Amino acid sequence: MRQYFADIWHALMSTFQGMGITIKHVVKKPVTLQYPDERWVLPERFRGFVHLDTNRCNACLQCAKACPVSCIYIDTEGKGVDRYMTRYAVDFNKCIWCGLCNEPCPTNAITMSHDYDHALYFRQKLVYEFVSPERPIPTHKQKRAEMGFFVEEEEEDHG
Amino acid sequence: MNPAIDGVAASRGGDDRAALPRLKSELLELNMGPQHPSTHGVLRLLIHTDGEIVHSVRPYIGYLHRCAEKIGEGCDCRQFVVYTDRLDYLAPMNCNFGYVVAVEKLMGIAVPERAEHIRVICAELQRIASHLIAFGTFGLDMGAWTPLLYAFREREVILNIFERLCGGRMLYNYYDIGGVRFDLPDGFAEEVVDFIDMFERKLDEYNTLLSYNKIFIERTADVGVLSVADANAYGCTGPVLRGSGVAWDCRRDDPYSIYDRFEFDVPTGQGEMGTVGDSWDRYMVRIREMAESCRIVRQAVKALPEGPIRTPELKKIVKVPAGAAYTRTESSKGELGFYVIADGGATPFRLKIRSPSFSNLHVIEKIGPGQMISDLVATVGSLDLVLGEIDR
Amino acid sequence: MEQVTALFARIAGAGTLSPQLLLWLGALTMALIMALVMAACAIVFTWAERKVAGFIQSRYGPMRVGRWHGIAQPIADMLKILQKEDIIPADADRKFFILAPFVLFIGSLMAWAAIPFAPGFVAADLDMGLLYIFAASSLVTIGILMSGWASNNKWSLYGAARGAAQIVSYEIPLALAVVPVVLYAGSLNMTDIVVAQQGGIWKWFALRNPFLFVSFLIYFLASIAEVNRTPFDLPETESELVAGYHTEYSGMRFAFFFLAEYANLFLVSCIATAVFLGGWGHPVPGLNFAPALVFLAKAVLLVLAQIWIRWTLPRLRVDQLMHVCWKVMIPLALVCLAGSGVWMLAFVRFA
Repeated sequence: MRQYFADIWHALMSTFQGMGITIKHVVKKPVTLQYPDERWVLPERFRGFVHLDTNRCNACLQCAKACPVSCIYIDTEGKGVDRYMTRYAVDFNKCIWCGLCNEPCPTNAITMSHDYDHALYFRQKLVYEFVSPERPIPTHKQKRAEMGFFVEEEEEDHG
Repeated sequence: MNPAIDGVAASRGGDDRAALPRLKSELLELNMGPQHPSTHGVLRLLIHTDGEIVHSVRPYIGYLHRCAEKIGEGCDCRQFVVYTDRLDYLAPMNCNFGYVVAVEKLMGIAVPERAEHIRVICAELQRIASHLIAFGTFGLDMGAWTPLLYAFREREVILNIFERLCGGRMLYNYYDIGGVRFDLPDGFAEEVVDFIDMFERKLDEYNTLLSYNKIFIERTADVGVLSVADANAYGCTGPVLRGSGVAWDCRRDDPYSIYDRFEFDVPTGQGEMGTVGDSWDRYMVRIREMAESCRIVRQAVKALPEGPIRTPELKKIVKVPAGAAYTRTESSKGELGFYVIADGGATPFRLKIRSPSFSNLHVIEKIGPGQMISDLVATVGSLDLVLGEIDR
Repeated sequence: MEQVTALFARIAGAGTLSPQLLLWLGALTMALIMALVMAACAIVFTWAERKVAGFIQSRYGPMRVGRWHGIAQPIADMLKILQKEDIIPADADRKFFILAPFVLFIGSLMAWAAIPFAPGFVAADLDMGLLYIFAASSLVTIGILMSGWASNNKWSLYGAARGAAQIVSYEIPLALAVVPVVLYAGSLNMTDIVVAQQGGIWKWFALRNPFLFVSFLIYFLASIAEVNRTPFDLPETESELVAGYHTEYSGMRFAFFFLAEYANLFLVSCIATAVFLGGWGHPVPGLNFAPALVFLAKAVLLVLAQIWIRWTLPRLRVDQLMHVCWKVMIPLALVCLAGSGVWMLAFVRFA
């Protein structure tokens, strides 16, 4: 009998304590942000959509090799001085935003940008082309220097 | 004749059938999942019920199978760290940890002190985050919505810390073979300590709101009691095993990394509200483990040395030597084992992942029957399953 | 009702309409008003529920539609739900599947008729008002059973069976809790009950004696069970039965369940206001111009309390639910009934 009333008392008391906690939160300011009006300040290392600086890229294919899901497609034409990059595409359907492509890049051309809200209606549109076929990028150092592209410094020879 | 049905008739006094020969009793076959709100992902439980009473439970898994082990054989070790994120997606840091420890053991390399400390801090923060989800979703299984949102609020702080650290909020890819990928950002230590200070106060709030609520106790105490013998027979680990009263924790009993330097307790189920090994015990072990993780983080932050964050002599592309290594680490769900066999090529020859949730799930076959449907939901919730890890 | 009938008679000119027709016209108008009130309260309370839940959970709740705090969100939801495809499962029992939401809705609509919002402002001032309300609102059980059975879904069936058992059981403490009030008021007429509580806060039945206060608590808890809300939301139990008896419903049919749920929520609060909290009576002097507003304010406060409880507590299990009903609430309600009777004999002089 005593247990019976103790249980009822416990049930009521724990309910009131819980309600005390919840009512306290009503007067507190909510912690959520009103996205998209208010936005989170992205930290510097945020890994958003992959961005390629075409001025810097010399099509060394390191990023494509490092990618665990093979979502980077690079096409080149020609050889030696006349080697051009005709296509650099990132398939964001496959990309997993791991950031592994950034590390081996000798010229820091490929970076993780701070863009993240790229919702699209068609999957094909998520294959981002960074190089237009009409304007291929030279990959040889000499040609790049002539045409005003970024040229990496000559300290070591990247594969 | 179905023995289960006969059992039902017997439990009703046996003579029911003789008296009412035309009344046929039949078990109801019910698919709980894969699209069911309380199966924590895509778990499918095939249950047979007699009214509200569950007669048999059979888990069917594989809806989230992504060939993680096979992928591990196809890509080099650094690339596979990315995939370990996706095993237990609620505790990626712990999964990263397990894998890099295995590869480092195979390669026989030592990790710089600073990296070890950073690893421990991240793993313990991640354990808190993962247990917060376990706490919140368990409340949700019981019908209490608000604890989930509070748990997410605190988890968010951890995610912000991680985001500043490595740029990812959920899938970090932070641990690297031989170290970690980024050094700590400015003010990281203070941020972590602030969070721990704040969080230790919040634990009391959780206890008042949910743990010691009478309804919650009634729902979880004496529900889904897992005996030590069953837990051992099914290979349960982590909070599920500790909930049954076995003080076994890889961090303490088979230390890896630098866990032997820290002082912490291994909370076990005491059966305070009912029987040892019931759902409440499993739940409470997690709450207490969060407090212990806070202790470890405090010690690790205090002892954080300066120095390199990655073994300097290691190349960018890691080649594993021929051989085999098995390591077990304590992830938030239990013992996470990685067995790496290499034949000297660029990629491991074979990779086997021993995921804790997989073993923990299957006790449901043993402890599920005889309960009510609501209890089954409570039991599944208290096992804290993540299907990404079970199906791999 | 009489006023409405009289209004129609005046508009049409005396004697042009037969009394029979006038009666029907009056009843229809009142029914329409009640249905609109129900829809309105569902709209207001869905918004209120989401806002309160939001602030309890450290977030804002709806903020977009309408300028201020998502005030137009329920309207947007209604418009969306109207456009939804009407899906009836192939194996469902079509007739009952279609009928069920309306049965549920009509059950709560009927009960509204006897609620006295203000002096004279009551659709049907029945002598058996209280009894009628409980009888009408128990129609809800049939609606729930019907929907669960007709859906031909195992989860729905579980929800329906639980719902029927729960509501039938909780009718008993609900009714027993108001019996002491009837004892005091000496009438089953709702208006009489409210009138008996006029003249100061200590005249309210909830505060007349400790037994009546406990009765009020029992009524309040049982009413939460009656409208299937956490911690007694067993027929719906999202985490166990998917959505319980309305798992298979979508679009407008689902909206009717939703509407009925919130209308019921408000209904039980209105009954509690009328029976225990003095109806339109209030202690503030000089606030006599709008008795209906006072009544509504009290009822809304009770609804907010129910929302508050919902977002705090976990839910009970089926057997515990029955335990609470049969072994806690009913004995306590009986004790309160006896206690109130003794209290009346001892302290209250019979008129």
